[in-house]
Amino acid sequence: MTTVALDGRGAERGAEAIVAGARAAAEAGIGLRVFGDPERLAALTGVGGIEVVAAQEEITNDQEPVAAVRRTPEASIVLAAADVAEGRSDALASAGPTGATMTAALFALRRMHGVRRPALALQLAVPGADGPPGLLLDVGANTEVRSVDLVQFAYLGAAFSQAVLGVERPRVALLSVGEEAKKGTADVVEAHAELAASNGIDFRGNIEGRDLLGGAADVVVTDGFTGNVALKAIEGTARAVAAAVGAAARSNPIAAIGGLMLRPALGGLRRELDPDTTGGAILLGLRGVAVVGHGSSGPEGIANAIRLAVRAVDQRAVERTAALLERSGATRSAMRDRKEPE
Amino acid sequence: MSQSLGREDVMTKVREHLSAELEVDQAEISEATRFKDDLDADSLDLYELVMELEDSYGIKVSEEEASRIETVGDAVDFVAGRLRD
Repeated sequence: MTTVALDGRGAERGAEAIVAGARAAAEAGIGLRVFGDPERLAALTGVGGIEVVAAQEEITNDQEPVAAVRRTPEASIVLAAADVAEGRSDALASAGPTGATMTAALFALRRMHGVRRPALALQLAVPGADGPPGLLLDVGANTEVRSVDLVQFAYLGAAFSQAVLGVERPRVALLSVGEEAKKGTADVVEAHAELAASNGIDFRGNIEGRDLLGGAADVVVTDGFTGNVALKAIEGTARAVAAAVGAAARSNPIAAIGGLMLRPALGGLRRELDPDTTGGAILLGLRGVAVVGHGSSGPEGIANAIRLAVRAVDQRAVERTAALLERSGATRSAMRDRKEPE
Repeated sequence: MSQSLGREDVMTKVREHLSAELEVDQAEISEATRFKDDLDADSLDLYELVMELEDSYGIKVSEEEASRIETVGDAVDFVAGRLRD
């Protein structure tokens, strides 16, 4: 049985959402060690496959993550990450503050050999598309990156897409301001050249922001600042469009009839776009599996974050990523040697 | 453990850690080696080294103290000093 260390604190929707999500995951045969306040997690006591581990402290969103993680060893997220590092659990999942989760995971699980910067990867639902959602990374772990990081993100994303999402030969693209190889920042142009010369992945060149949901690539690579802005722009646009469609459908009786007829299809679309459906982002480039749930995750989001972590463990995503980096010459030292030949 | 042995032990630990994590030859790492300029190490690399030293020697390094470490020698001096205290 695969066991996930779950942060039982910090979720915006409270311990109730964590309890319900954990129960749903346990019913699917997943083992859980839930770190938090035993009183608030009391409903999990005695549930098969679940063990509640007391963690008296919590790291909140307003704390500086690095300092907080280092100074609060009894915090739930720090204890949960250590549980994975020490081998009692197989993966980490949290719906608590993103910065603290990433930092605790990074410090406890450590970077994969040869990886300079881990990246946060998120599945982007493509409405109406066949196949698994595309993967966007980085969506917030690194606001500033170098070309070497973008190249490594491409390999991290491709390996995850193949191993966990089941895409046989993932198409990888760089997010830029034009499709031409010379478009973009100096780092994007340099990464483009490096990826175009690589033979380890199926690099398709640049795509623009308008193509993010167009299914043009299975893995889209960018820096964490751009990725986070793009992600929030998509979420905001989806909300605005949904509200506009709703308002239009309520504008007159005939439109209302049309709206009623469309409701089942729109319900499916809403579900596709709901962050709870994918469960959260995964921090790639570590020596273990860490899933960062959406802060506002409900029970389904938390259960899906746990399921995503289990899939990554069961499909040996970490081992397969390390192997791809190594055989493609995409480790930190191999890329440095190519750049600075002796 | 004498002071010199303690210092050598710390230097060996630092060298081994940096060599493994940054994928550089141990022979390239001396006390004068600068983390940022010579090893292309960033703050994350330095934090990992600091945590390794904390775990290995049972010491605590504050954020401020960590931010003052610029060379391998600085790191070795810091830990050796704590071990003497």
